[in-house]
Amino acid sequence: MGHAVEARRLEKRFTRKRSIRELLFQPFRKAEVVEALRGVDLTIREGEIFGLLGPNGAGKTTLLKILSCLVLPDEGSATIGGHPTSREQEVKPLIGLVHSDERSFYWRLSGRQNMNFFSTLYEVPRERRDGRIAELLQKVDMDDAADRPFADYSSGMKQRMSIARAMLHDPPILLMDEPTRSLDPAAALSLRRFIQDELSGRDRKTIVLATHNLHEAELLCSRIAVLMKGKVRQVGTVEEVRRWGLDTRNYELELDRWPAEAGGRFNVLSDRAWEDGRRIRIGLSGDDGLNPMLAYLLEQGVTIRGCTQVDADLEGAFARILEAE
Amino acid sequence: MIRVAAKLWAFIVRDFQQQVSYRLAFLLQIGGMFLSLGAFFFLTRMIDPNAKGLDGMNPFEWMLLGLAFQYYFSTALYAFSAKVRSEQMMGTLEAMLVSPTSTGLVIFSSAAWDFTYAGFRVLLYLGGAWLIFGISFHLENFPVLLLGIVLTLLSSVGLGMLSASFILYFKRGDPINFFLSGMTTFFGTVFFPAEQLPAFLQGVSDYLPITWSLRVVRGALLQGKGFAELQSDLAALAVLTAVLLPAGLFLSRIAIRKAKQEGSLVQY
Ligand SMILES: Nc1ncnc2c1ncn2[C@@H]1O[C@H](COP(=O)(O)OP(=O)(O)OP(=O)(O)O)[C@@H](O)[C@H]1O
Ligand SMILES: [Mg+2]
Repeated sequence: MGHAVEARRLEKRFTRKRSIRELLFQPFRKAEVVEALRGVDLTIREGEIFGLLGPNGAGKTTLLKILSCLVLPDEGSATIGGHPTSREQEVKPLIGLVHSDERSFYWRLSGRQNMNFFSTLYEVPRERRDGRIAELLQKVDMDDAADRPFADYSSGMKQRMSIARAMLHDPPILLMDEPTRSLDPAAALSLRRFIQDELSGRDRKTIVLATHNLHEAELLCSRIAVLMKGKVRQVGTVEEVRRWGLDTRNYELELDRWPAEAGGRFNVLSDRAWEDGRRIRIGLSGDDGLNPMLAYLLEQGVTIRGCTQVDADLEGAFARILEAE
Repeated sequence: MIRVAAKLWAFIVRDFQQQVSYRLAFLLQIGGMFLSLGAFFFLTRMIDPNAKGLDGMNPFEWMLLGLAFQYYFSTALYAFSAKVRSEQMMGTLEAMLVSPTSTGLVIFSSAAWDFTYAGFRVLLYLGGAWLIFGISFHLENFPVLLLGIVLTLLSSVGLGMLSASFILYFKRGDPINFFLSGMTTFFGTVFFPAEQLPAFLQGVSDYLPITWSLRVVRGALLQGKGFAELQSDLAALAVLTAVLLPAGLFLSRIAIRKAKQEGSLVQY
C-alpha cells in the first residue's frame, strides 16, 4: 500500500497580530511568536482512518491546513499521494477538507444552491453536476432538506453538508477537523458510523481525523498520532498508544477476602473497590506475574472467584504522555 | 478559459441568489437612488451653466454621469476587500480556497457580482434620468462609449485589486480605501471640473482613471463626440489601465503568498 500523506519535519510559527494601539505605544517590543508545529513527521497509509489526537492548541488544525495548501509551512515539507503540497494544482484534486467550523457556507442559500456553487469551484463537469449533487445529498441523508435555506439546518445537518461538499470531486483523501465537535451524542454517534461504514468501509477513503476526543479516536481510528505542543509524541495503533509507558498489566480480581499482609507484596491500584465489594485491582510488572500471585493467594486460603485483565485506557496513556513532557 | 468563465458565472449566480433574498432592501435602495437623483436635479439648477470646465454641458447631466461613475469606482475600491474580509469571517473563503480554484481567481470573482450590480445601477440611473427628467443621450458613438466603459471597468478592477492587496498584506486597509475614495471624489471631476481647483492642484486629477473615464463618457454621451475627438482621453485611460491592472494582479499575488505564510488568509 502506498502512502497517502507524508510530512517531514514540518514547522510552523505564527506571529500574533498586534493591535494599532500596541504598535503606537510599544513600537519596538517584539511580537509574540507561537510555535504551532515544531518538527512534525508523519506517514499516513492509504485507506486508513488516521487520528490526530491532541489537546486544544496542539497544532491539529494547523497541520490539516498545511496539508490542504491553505497555510505554507516555514520548514519541512509534506506530500499528498506523492505530490508536494507546494504544487497546489496537483494536490487539491486529491483532498477534501471537512471544516470544524459550521459556518463556511452561504446561510441565505439552500443546501443545493450551495452545492451548485461549490461544484463549479471543484470543477465537476457541467453535465454530471446535478447527478453528482443529488447522489451526495442522498448519501449524507440530506436530500429532503436540500432546498431549505442553510440557516435552518441543525448542526448535524450542517456537518453532513460539509462532508458532502468535501466529496464533490471524489477525492481519495478526506481531512476532517473535529467533525463531531458541535454535535450532540446521538448525532455524533451516527456521524461516526457514517465515517466508518460509508466513507472508510464502502468508499475506501483515506481519512485523517483531528480530534481531542479520546473515545472517538478509540472507536474510529486504526492508527493515531498524539500531537502535543506542536510535536508528535506517539504514533501507533490505538492499542500501542494505549499501552505506552505502561510496564505493568492491570488485573481485577474477585476474591472472598484480601489478606492483610498481601498489600505490601503487590501493587494495589485501588483499595476503595475492595472496601465496598469483593474486587481489587492489582498492577503486575511484566507478563509473567500472574501465576505467582494466584499461587500466593491460594496458599493463603483465599477463594478466587474471578480474574480479568483490565484494559489500559487511552486517557491514562494521555496523562502519562503529558507527564513525560 | 471556459472553466474560468464558468467559475466567474457561478460567483455571479451565487450573489444574485443572495441578493434576491434581500428583496425589500433592494427596492428601498432603488427608491433611495431616485430620491438622490431628484435632489441633484434641483441642486444643479443653482449652478451657472457657463462655469469654467463644464464645456457647455448641462450641469445636471454633467453631474449625473459623474455620480454614476463615481459609484462604479467606489464599488471597485470596496468590493474586493469587503468581500474578501466578509468571506474570511464567514469561513467561506477557506472553503473556496481548498477547491482546485486559484486564490487569485477566487478574489477576483468575489467582486464580479458587485461590478455587475453596479453596472446595472448605473444603467438604472441613466434610464431614470432619461425617463423622469427627459434627458437625451447621444448614442451614435456607441463603440467608443463601450471602449471607454471596458477600460473604466479594467482600471477600476486594478484599483480594487490594489486596495485588496493592501488589506491582505497589512491586514488593515480601511485608511487606504478611505484615502483613495476621498481622492476620487475630490479630484475625480465628479462634482466639479478640475479647472475650478487652484492651478497647482489641477494636475492631480490627471493621475486618476476616473477623470479620463468621465471625459470619455461625458464627451460621447452628452456631446456626441467620436473617436477622433476622444482618442487622447482614451489613450490616457488605457495607459493608466495598463499600469493599474498588472500592478493590482501582481501585488495581489504577493499579498496572498504572505497571507498564506502568516496563516491570516483563512483566520481572521
Ligand atoms: N493564523 C494564526 N495566527 C496566529 N496564531 C495561530 C494561527 N493559527 C493558529 N495559531 C496558534 O497556533 C497554535 C496551534 O493552533 P491549532 O489551531 O493548530 O491547534 P488545534 O490543535 O487545532 O487546537 P483546537 O483543538 O483548539 O482546535 C495555537 O496556539 C493557535 O493559537
Ligand atoms: Mg483545531
